[in-house]
Amino acid sequence: MKALKIITLTLILPGLVLGALLWTGSASAADATLDVVPAETFLSPALIKQPVSFKGSGFAPNEMITIEMILPEGVTVKGVNKGEDVGIAMATADDKGSFSTAMQPTATLNWFFQVGWTPLLTPDLKAAKPIPPGDYKIRATGLDSDRAASSTLKIVPPPPKKE
Amino acid sequence: MGKRWGVFLTMVLGISLSVVGLTGPASAKEVAYLSLADYTGPIAGLNVPADMGLEDFIKEINTKGGIDGVTIKFIGIDTRYDVARAVSAYKRYRRTPRLLMVNSISTGIGKAVARLIEADKKAQIVPGDGEFQAHISRTFLWGPAYQDAFAATLDWILDDWKKKGKSGAPVVGYLSWDNPYGREHLRGGTEYAEKIGIKLLPPEFFPPGTLKHDVYLTRLANAGANYIHAGGVDPTPTNVIRDGYSLGLTKTIQFTADYWGPTALGVGVHAEALEGTVITSFFQRGEDARNNAFVTDQWKKYRGSMDSFNEVYGMGMSWGMTYVAGLKKALKAAGYEKLEADDMYKAYQELTGLEKNGIQGPCAYSPTSRLGSKVVKIYQVKAGKIVPITDWREAPNAVGLHSFK
Repeated sequence: MKALKIITLTLILPGLVLGALLWTGSASAADATLDVVPAETFLSPALIKQPVSFKGSGFAPNEMITIEMILPEGVTVKGVNKGEDVGIAMATADDKGSFSTAMQPTATLNWFFQVGWTPLLTPDLKAAKPIPPGDYKIRATGLDSDRAASSTLKIVPPPPKKE
Repeated sequence: MGKRWGVFLTMVLGISLSVVGLTGPASAKEVAYLSLADYTGPIAGLNVPADMGLEDFIKEINTKGGIDGVTIKFIGIDTRYDVARAVSAYKRYRRTPRLLMVNSISTGIGKAVARLIEADKKAQIVPGDGEFQAHISRTFLWGPAYQDAFAATLDWILDDWKKKGKSGAPVVGYLSWDNPYGREHLRGGTEYAEKIGIKLLPPEFFPPGTLKHDVYLTRLANAGANYIHAGGVDPTPTNVIRDGYSLGLTKTIQFTADYWGPTALGVGVHAEALEGTVITSFFQRGEDARNNAFVTDQWKKYRGSMDSFNEVYGMGMSWGMTYVAGLKKALKAAGYEKLEADDMYKAYQELTGLEKNGIQGPCAYSPTSRLGSKVVKIYQVKAGKIVPITDWREAPNAVGLHSFK
């Protein structure tokens, strides 16, 4: 009987508490959502005027949110150290924890097209090295709550030019 | 016997492992500085030499053993002038042990990061956003607020106008980038112009990267501008004045610029067009900077020939001097083991009067001030060189004239 009490106190109860904590943690993470619009695109100057945008929910009310692109193995981006994610947009959640935002022109030019900048402060498109087609994981993270949600942006090759 | 030895050895191994686990390898004492910079983007031309000055200054400190044995780790992040990238980088590094100061390179980045800095109880330095002087927080300015420096330019304009024997009040045009930096000067600057009787024309704003500025300049000229203040980070003001020169406006209109006005970068390319341009600066420019041995000795030691010297290098050294002075105070107050960013925040408020080898005026940080310094010097481009035409003078408090929400 005594042995049973010891086992209950030392193993079962802590196990239940830990399990409950893990369960609630995963539940709150699962609550956060992220949509990338459009989910699939090809790189063209049209993205400056109609940029990739993001919608999310399930974050803490009024918190700042950073939206980052996780670089696949082998893809490098100018100015970004290996292992770093690239911040491509930011937002502030509303009082219900939802947000909507889009990439700014500078972000599209810097991180999708990897342009150079001339001494006149204009983007140097000749020096551009667009990131390669592929699936890019996009992650939104609440900067107060640490809640995160992920989605994917598929960059496809541009359509062939009509002759 | 064998079993006993086995138990004994297990205990010894267990204790040894736990001791190793608790203490870890002997580590050096280190504090961190995060620069949310622009190394390959639009304002790299100025940020690169500034961070060179800072990095070299830190190297110098570290090679001499640091501050009380504590070395400084410089973390430079290339944001390419992008706010989203800067916020993401801050997220990545915000939990760096003993990250005592963050430097945000643009007004936009500074405003975005400020909220996180408050939540994390850290400290930040930013260019010249007067809002942070109006609402005291954990964000400090590099020098006087933009609007205060602009007010000092307006004072000079009024003096110049009177010196030339002109009657009535001068008419001043303002054009700058269409972003938080460009608008900041007028949040208090407009009120100051009105206060001293200067007629300020409706401002002209243009996107960074604009190739030609003829339309904006012509509009200001047609509105009767006697003076035109060209904003933007060099080479933008250089290009604006170049366009004014091409239009023939520099013959009749005096051009002025703020502390990001023409440096060696712009003057090296468009000396003729810039001739006569007046620059209000909180840090030493042109010949002043080239004659400051404290600055040039360090440049020569780490960068070699003076041919590519840019005066912004000295401003970077000034950031380093402030950080080191703050670190000394913070270490004295808290000791290394308990040192936190909050200690640096408190220390910065005690740096009132700190001298910076003439690079800029005395530090004005205090519990009620976030101004890096209060004084500016007026420079003018003469014979292709940037030379001082006044001594250091206190910039008026234009921040105090504006109602910040």
